[in-house]
Amino acid sequence: MIVNKISRNRRKISLYILLSFVTFLVMLPFLWMLLLSIKTNSEIFRMPLSIPDRLSFDNFRRALNTLDFLQLYKNTFLIVIMTMAIELTITFLSSFVLARMVFENPKIKSMIYGFLIIGLTISPFILLFPVYKINTIIGLKEQAGLIFPYVASSISFNTLLFVGYMKSLPSEIDEAAVIDGCSLRQLILQVIVPMSKPVIATVVIFNVLYIWNEFPFASIILQDSTNYTLSLGASFFKGKYNIDYAGIIASSVMMIIPQLLFYGLFQKNIVDGMTAGAIKG
Amino acid sequence: MYWLSKKRYIVLMLIPTLLIYIVYMIAPIIVAVGYSFTKYSGIGNAKFIGLNNYIRLLGDSTFMLSLKNTMVIFVVIFIFLMVGAFSVALLLNNKLKFNGTAKALIFSPAIIAPIIVGIIWVFILDPEVGLINSIMNEIGLEKHTQLWIGGDKLTPYCVAFIYLWQQLGYVATIFIAGLKMIPEEVMEAAKVDGANAWQKVRYVTIPMIRSTISTAAILIITGTFKIFEVVQQLTNGGPNHVSETLVTYSYATTFSNGEYGYGMSMATITFIISLMITAIYSFFAREKVE
Repeated sequence: MIVNKISRNRRKISLYILLSFVTFLVMLPFLWMLLLSIKTNSEIFRMPLSIPDRLSFDNFRRALNTLDFLQLYKNTFLIVIMTMAIELTITFLSSFVLARMVFENPKIKSMIYGFLIIGLTISPFILLFPVYKINTIIGLKEQAGLIFPYVASSISFNTLLFVGYMKSLPSEIDEAAVIDGCSLRQLILQVIVPMSKPVIATVVIFNVLYIWNEFPFASIILQDSTNYTLSLGASFFKGKYNIDYAGIIASSVMMIIPQLLFYGLFQKNIVDGMTAGAIKG
Repeated sequence: MYWLSKKRYIVLMLIPTLLIYIVYMIAPIIVAVGYSFTKYSGIGNAKFIGLNNYIRLLGDSTFMLSLKNTMVIFVVIFIFLMVGAFSVALLLNNKLKFNGTAKALIFSPAIIAPIIVGIIWVFILDPEVGLINSIMNEIGLEKHTQLWIGGDKLTPYCVAFIYLWQQLGYVATIFIAGLKMIPEEVMEAAKVDGANAWQKVRYVTIPMIRSTISTAAILIITGTFKIFEVVQQLTNGGPNHVSETLVTYSYATTFSNGEYGYGMSMATITFIISLMITAIYSFFAREKVE
């Protein structure tokens, strides 16, 4: 028994060591950026590994002077809000139809559902040029031109999650609502939406992260630098700072930290949101 | 519910989604395939040239190289990310203190914008100021320092490694969700039968989470063919296009060189390849279950 306990403890300790090691390795790139961000350019070149003698925030000050971070954040935020408002409204309604309404021909319903789900396999890179072309024909550009591609990219994922969730709600709800004299609008807004809060949270988090980090579409559609999003702004660091490595690093750190803080606050929701689609699909 | 299901409502509620989806998701694919049979420089009209773009692809050595690089990236990622994430999932599935914190930290790279991930790794892999070569110089391995990026060989492997770093926690979380679904009794029974740790994983865990493994595999396949920003930040396909991938090369051909028709033939082929690999994988995964 005692031998057993010792070997079990030993196993536990080795698991702890392994876990700490893996965690440290994954965190290392972030720690390295933090270290570099408080060093001067000459320190970075001469002795990259050393710990600087004093804490200096010069890099951050210089980064703030070079780039209009407020503008980048504002632009990204605006696109996020507009896209989310549109996609939540339209995909929730269409999913409600597919999950709960009665079709004369049920085959049509499952065909529409299947059609809306196919998008999960479509890569954005085949869409870039055609979307640019379609935008020109319709007359959309800059931010307005980004919103619809983002909405379209969200449709398959949202449909998958919304329909799955709304199908799991008991059908007696609708019947009771109808008997109580609810209109369709009241049923959706006052009954189904409040009951769907968890899945709405998942969908919001997944899509906000996607739009926040998105680069390929933004790089094709946004032409005017005053409209750049954070990701697009970051892609020009090299050009803006030239060989000012410390400036590039400080700017990246200033983009990573708010995102990690947001992650820290909503960690559970974010992890659930990002894995939900994969597991459901 | 039947009473509220008037045709007018159904149509009205479906139309906006269907319209945006068709115009910005389905039509673009038809447009892309259409342009792939043309020569188009952006000015004037596209000229129909049949299969010429596809024939040209076969003789384009840069395209073949980017196909090879993409395959290298894909194979390295597929093997190491599946095994790595599965191991991390097994590790995190033990009842250890700080498990939650460790999981949260290991997951965190997945939420960072790929473009920033690229910037971070430039400062790790850079031959002069990067972390890896600095450490190697410090501990006396100067002779073994490498041109991790910007050379002619290692960039695809680095791209794969970076993707591995970013997705490790994410894929592990998917595996953990699968592990949680294995009933406790099954593991107990295996233990009673005297199965060792390896046997339990091989004969109980893996067969029981087969569908989760498929999910992760398909996610990795489609994800690999979307790697773009990291390559762009590391080398931008250079030097001399040696580190180009299918996606970066088609992007550069389309938008930097303005060869829209030719670029679309690449995008089409890339899309078909990723669909084919997914289909092949799904086929074999299904065979095994039966």
